[in-house]
Amino acid sequence: MNHLKTYLKKELYTHFFDYLLLVTAGIFFLIILNSFRGERFLEFFIVLLYIFFYIIWGVYHHLFEDSLHLKNVVEYILIGFTILFLLKILILP
Amino acid sequence: MEKVKKIFLHFFIPNEQNNYRAKSLHPDFLSLYLVIAFFLAVVFNRTGITNVLSFATDISIEKLYQLTNQEREKNNLPDLVYNNQLSQAAYQKAQDMFQKNYWSHYAPDGKTPWDFILSSGYKYEYAGENLAKNFLFSDGVVSAWMTSPVHRENLLKKEYSDVGLAVVNGILNGEQTTLVVQMFGKLISSSLAIQNQPMVPQVLAKKQLPVEKKSVNFPYHLNFVFLTFLLIILALDFYFASKFNIIRVAGKNIGHFLFIIFIITSLLIISRGVIL
Repeated sequence: MNHLKTYLKKELYTHFFDYLLLVTAGIFFLIILNSFRGERFLEFFIVLLYIFFYIIWGVYHHLFEDSLHLKNVVEYILIGFTILFLLKILILP
Repeated sequence: MEKVKKIFLHFFIPNEQNNYRAKSLHPDFLSLYLVIAFFLAVVFNRTGITNVLSFATDISIEKLYQLTNQEREKNNLPDLVYNNQLSQAAYQKAQDMFQKNYWSHYAPDGKTPWDFILSSGYKYEYAGENLAKNFLFSDGVVSAWMTSPVHRENLLKKEYSDVGLAVVNGILNGEQTTLVVQMFGKLISSSLAIQNQPMVPQVLAKKQLPVEKKSVNFPYHLNFVFLTFLLIILALDFYFASKFNIIRVAGKNIGHFLFIIFIITSLLIISRGVIL
């Protein structure tokens, strides 16, 4: 377990701002979503915005880490859009 | 057994065979998840299957009735008797909201909840109405009513003896909406009650509850299962990648992890609609 702690510590310390940005955006996402509870179109739009933010965050993070690669970008897009389509079934059946 | 272990290692643990990234997180597998999700979204949308099978929501009249009486029992109040006339009034109210496109206790043409109750033939001494829309589960509806002082007061009013419920799907403001209407009442007097409807013993009255088929909220569970699956494979991949000190070209698992945690939390918010 020590290796995990060391790795996490190092990663979070090195990219503190990036993760802080992701968490802050996540908290804002939940607050906004909660204030538009019950409004299906708005709920879906807010989810869509958060997913776009997550993809852009991924690109930005790897760009500044100097590890930007098409494979990374595709990974963020695939995860983001899979979740978007699944949530679409729930929010806008 | 060796074969199973090999498959497990290949799909979930980063190693030489899978290019040091769990196979289930490779772009080809992620593309497969995307294609399946897209296919499900299109099929559900085109066929309207979620509405036909009513598995877009887990709300049932039976469950709402049970939960309402449970809350009353907790507060030492007598159970409410399920009343068909009040349920008819609740159903008419929901239909009226869809037809005239409003979300309010009062219709744009001035029609009140009491008009629906009276037109159903229920002559009341006391009456009340609770509304809810776009909830996914019955317990969410009742717990939201219990947290709002006004709705709680309605639910726990000792003067009420009857309750009617309706759960109706339709289009409101251009959106697929599930409306829940709960109407409470007490007949004006026993003599009038005899004129209006036969005095049904409480046990018999409870049997009038509509029999509903058990529904499962398929989209909600599908989302939950897939997100949990992603979290598990990301956690395994992250653990072993850090253990073996693997350096590779891949997305950041911590980033994915945080994102999915927020999405799971959003599911809980989405499952709770609004009350009025």
